[in-house]
Parts: sequence; structure tokens; C-alpha cells
Amino acid sequence: MVQPLSGQAIYVVLLRELKRYWRAKARVISSVAQSIFFLAIFGLGLGGFIGGFGGVNYLSYMAPGIIGMGLLFGSVFSGVSVIFDRQFGFMKEMMVAPVSRTSIILGKILGGATTATIQGIILMAVAGIMGAFTPSFAFVAGAFVAIGAMLLITSGFVGLGVAIGSTLNDFHAFQLLSTFVMWPMFMLSGVFFPIDGRPLPLQVAMLCDPMFYGVELLRWCLLGAGTDLLGPLGWLISLAVVAIFNILMVSLGTYLFSRAQI
Amino acid sequence: MNKINTIEVKAITKIFDGDVKAVDGISFNVKEGEILGFLGPNGAGKTTTLNMLSTLLRPTSGTATVNGHDILTEPDAVRRSIGYVFQDTTLDIELTGRENLDFHGRLYGLERNTRQQRIKEVLELVQLTDRADNFVKTYSGGMKRRLEIARGLLHYPKVLFLDEPTLGLDPQTRRSIWEHILHLNQEKNVTIILTTHYTEEADYLCKRILIIDFGKIVVLDTPDNLKARLEGDVVTLLFKDPAAIETFRPLLESKDWIRRINVVNSGNNYAAMSRMMQTMPGMSSNIGMGGTVPEMDSRTIEGKRKIPEQVQQKSEQDVADKNPHFGGETCSKCLNLLVDNGGHRIPEIVKLADEAGVILESVELHKPTLDDVFLSVTGRNIREEEGSFIDMVRRHRIMQQARGRRVRG
Repeated sequence: MVQPLSGQAIYVVLLRELKRYWRAKARVISSVAQSIFFLAIFGLGLGGFIGGFGGVNYLSYMAPGIIGMGLLFGSVFSGVSVIFDRQFGFMKEMMVAPVSRTSIILGKILGGATTATIQGIILMAVAGIMGAFTPSFAFVAGAFVAIGAMLLITSGFVGLGVAIGSTLNDFHAFQLLSTFVMWPMFMLSGVFFPIDGRPLPLQVAMLCDPMFYGVELLRWCLLGAGTDLLGPLGWLISLAVVAIFNILMVSLGTYLFSRAQI
Repeated sequence: MNKINTIEVKAITKIFDGDVKAVDGISFNVKEGEILGFLGPNGAGKTTTLNMLSTLLRPTSGTATVNGHDILTEPDAVRRSIGYVFQDTTLDIELTGRENLDFHGRLYGLERNTRQQRIKEVLELVQLTDRADNFVKTYSGGMKRRLEIARGLLHYPKVLFLDEPTLGLDPQTRRSIWEHILHLNQEKNVTIILTTHYTEEADYLCKRILIIDFGKIVVLDTPDNLKARLEGDVVTLLFKDPAAIETFRPLLESKDWIRRINVVNSGNNYAAMSRMMQTMPGMSSNIGMGGTVPEMDSRTIEGKRKIPEQVQQKSEQDVADKNPHFGGETCSKCLNLLVDNGGHRIPEIVKLADEAGVILESVELHKPTLDDVFLSVTGRNIREEEGSFIDMVRRHRIMQQARGRRVRG
């Protein structure tokens, strides 16, 4: 069913997400700190043995993946937060207003994508300060492109979160979601090791992980190169997969949200 | 009184899952500026009716118009015409009071200037101006309720739905909410439908009362007319020994000046139980989301399941509220008589008891209240909501389903 969209409704739901994000400083700080631990400890600890991959040192290699981790967790959880809106009743306030559910959920998705992208920008800056990137004109230009990529990646994952949140009933599912969806997606995304030269089953698993393409895209933006497996057109393949994933997930999230119970 | 009907309900019915009739073909009109009260126990169909009138729930059959708009064909126009204050809190507690209002104003498409001016106005109306910029999580229950009422008014609705506006509030706060409701009804000429299971609330606020039970209208009339139906006085007898009720009752039945005798049943307290189910974390997670109706848990009924502390307090509060005429005692030992000229008959009743060797602990005389009306039209006491186990299960099922229902987008 096609529902009329209301710009103001989309905007106000987005605004609420931003306000709530801004106020949940503890959450922001802890997720940034977590990423710093990964970069610092793995970068220093493993980096010594590994040296690096694809011509960059291990810290630089990991940085796009760790940014991706912030994007992934931030966006899925902000989508899943429709559970909380329902549980705490605020959903009813939105449902009884003369605006379509599509407007509400698009606001939610845009809001979640914006906050997760802000998180990604913070992580990008932190990684930069830690020396993960080579300062150059090309890098600055790439960083701006990366912000666009982040919005595309995160809105898809917020859509996934909304789809999950509209289907699941309760908080208990959170733990399962984290263990069986988020962590495998994160670890298979190529954050710690490149896909090239891995055993075939692992390569297949990685190629099935949508986050793999997100990280690949970020790596092209920030480091100017990707995996050998996808080749020189890796950025285009990744962009296409991320875009298709985005469209599918936003549609699925919108559909499941529209038919969910409050 | 030649006012137009703001709400016209035509044979509206809601059947859940094919066989549970939550609302059973009810029709009524509400005039402009009227306060109509839905009075009935939990699960009677009050909230389901409001959800249909507010277009959140699609009726199985029948329809209604609200402010001249059909709920089936013009849901957006209906939504614009109504404010709905839900039974449970629907505020964002992470936002301030003002931000909650601002969110609402934007959602209803109010321009910036209009929005700010109206936010100021409604905050003053419910006396929350001082606390407007505090986070809602710091508000008391009564303040949250007032904020929700203010929010419901922000877009100047023609009609306001208040679902149990004072449930769980202390008497003082309840009184102040009542004053706010009356005030805005008179000041803004807002037509109001409120649901309640507090008879004194219905009596105080409503121009007319619709008693609803098992989805059907039992009676619809003004409070005074309802009470006038019970001509005479209500005499309540408290027995020392409940067993004596059965021996004494036949003696009373032979007297022609006694119009009606009602045993006031003690509750198995469905109200407290259902509230307990709603409040228990494990249960509530099933409510309203999965759509699965949880199996009635026999452990719950036997009371072995641990009851959260707050619920326990609530139930105790209920018991204390239950029958003010007996200082909070539950009435398994009471008999209600509807008597002509009650004051003059008390000596006779006492004499009768004496002769029969029945010991009366106290005798109370009062004018009929809506509690008595409810008892006489439904055969049950509204507070205790006693009934057979089957009734209880049925109500529980209806409520579960009503809560878990898909809502129209």
C-alpha cells in the first residue's frame, strides 16, 4: 500500500533520534572507546607480527573495518529500538497521529543512519589521530566520499534493525541478535584479515556478509585500494551490493513495520 | 438542548480471531461539548471501542462518524479531529515536557509560531509551565498524566478520548485531574469520552454514562436518572458470620418493602490479577507485540508466581478503595438491600435480626450511588469484578487480544 509521505513527520522523528543520541553520551563514549581499544591493542599487539596487508600497516588495514563496526552496531541497534518505542508506549503517540507509518519509519531510518554516521565520523577522526591514514588531498576527498558511503551503509542496516525489531517481541532477543547476527557479520567483514588466500568456505561466508562490501567500500574510500579477489572494480561491486542491500532492507523494514502490532 | 452529534456510532462490532466478541454491535451518539463516560470492568470493551473510534483498530462491522468524518473512509480527518490520552503512558521520558509537546505539534503539522504559542497555553492549562524543560523521567505520575492531557489538546481537537485518566493516581491528584478535565470541557467546548471503572469519577465528570459489559451497552443515561432508577435507599448489612446471610435472607425476602436484595460478593479480584499480569515483566513482553495469546498460567491463578512489589501495593490499594462504607473491609459478609424509606426500616431490620439470632456488626444507610446502579444492572460489583472463572478467562482473553491487535497505519 502506498502511503502519503509527510516531510515534517519524517523530520520530527529524525530530530528525536538525534536528540536522544546526543543525550546518551555514555553510549557514544563507550562505543568510541571500544573501537579505540581494538585499534590500539590489536594494532600494536598483532601489528608487530603481521606487519600489514596489501601494502599498508595493520593499523591502517583495520581502521576502515573498525569504523564499519561502529556503523554496523550503531545502525542495527537504532533500528531495533522500535521495540523500546513500543514497549514504552511512545509508538502509540506516533500511530494515532494523522501521518502515515511510512513517514514515521523513514524518519526513524534516516535518524538512525545519521547518528550511526556521526559515530563513524568520530571513529574516522580517532583513527586518523592514531596515524591510520596518510594525510593528503586524496585522503580528504576520500573521507568525504566515505561519509556518503556511511549513510548508504547505515540506512540499510537500520532497515535490517527495524525489520528485526518489528518481528521480535522482547529484549531477551537482543543477546541472540548480538551473538548470532552482529558479531559474525562484524568478524566476517574482513576487518582483521583480508579475504585473499583464505580457505574457500570462509571466503564464501565472507562474500555472503553484506558488511564485507561495506568495509570494502570504506577501504577504497580511505585507503584507495581493496582486496585482490574483487579486483580493481571492487569499489563498484561493493557499491552495487551495498546499494541493493540498502533498497532491500529499507523496503523490508518499512513493510514489516507497517504491518506490525503496537 | 439542540446540539449536533459530534460522534455517531452505528452498530459497531469488533470480533477478535473469529469468536471473541470484544464489542458487540453498539450504537450511541455523543453531543457537542458533552462528557460521556464509559463505565465497565476491565475487558468490557471500553478501550476497544475507543481504538475503533480513533481509527487505530478497524471494526469487524458497523461504523461511526467523528466530527462528521467516517472512521472507515476518512481516517486522517478523524485523527486530526481527536486527541487520545492512552491508558498507559505514551510519553518519551528521555525528552523534556516541552519537547514532547513540540514533537506532537510537528507531527500534527502545526507551524512554528502556532506551536510555540499553543505549547505555552496548554502548559499553563495543566500548570506545568515551571517543569516544562525538565526531563519527563523526573515527573511524578500525576504530572505525566497532566502532560499527556495537555498534549492531547495541543492540536485543538474537537474530541478528546481519555482512557482511564486517573488510574493508579492518588486521590488528591485524581481530584486535580478531574478539575482540569471539567475546565477544558467548559473552556474549549471539547467533547470528551472517558473510560473509567471508578464510579465516583463517572458520577462527578460525566453528563451521561454508558455502562458497558461484555461488549454490550447495558444502559445509557445521566447519572441522576441512573440513580433514580433505584428508588429508595440502600441499606448495607454487615454480618458477623457470613453463614448467617443464608439464614437471614429468606426472612427479608418476605418483606414487601424490600425491593431488591444483592449479595455483595467478595472478589477473587480479577482486577488485581489482570493488572498483575500486565505488570509482570515476563507476561508483558508477550502483550502487544507477538500477538500470541499467552496460555493462562495456572501458577498465576494460584498466586504462586512472585508478584512484583508495586503490584502488591496496588492490589492493597484496591482493597482499601473497595468499599468505603466498610472502612476497606472486603464484603464477603455483606448484604445490600434496596429499601423504601430506608431510615425508618432500620429498626425493623435490626429487630428481625435479633429475633433470628443473627448478629449484625453494622448497618449502613446511603442514597444509591453508581456502584449500586452497576450492581443492579449487571448483577456484579464493578470494583471486585467477581464472576465465574469462565468470565475471568474470557475477559482476560479479550484484553490480551485487544492489546496485541494490529493497529491500522
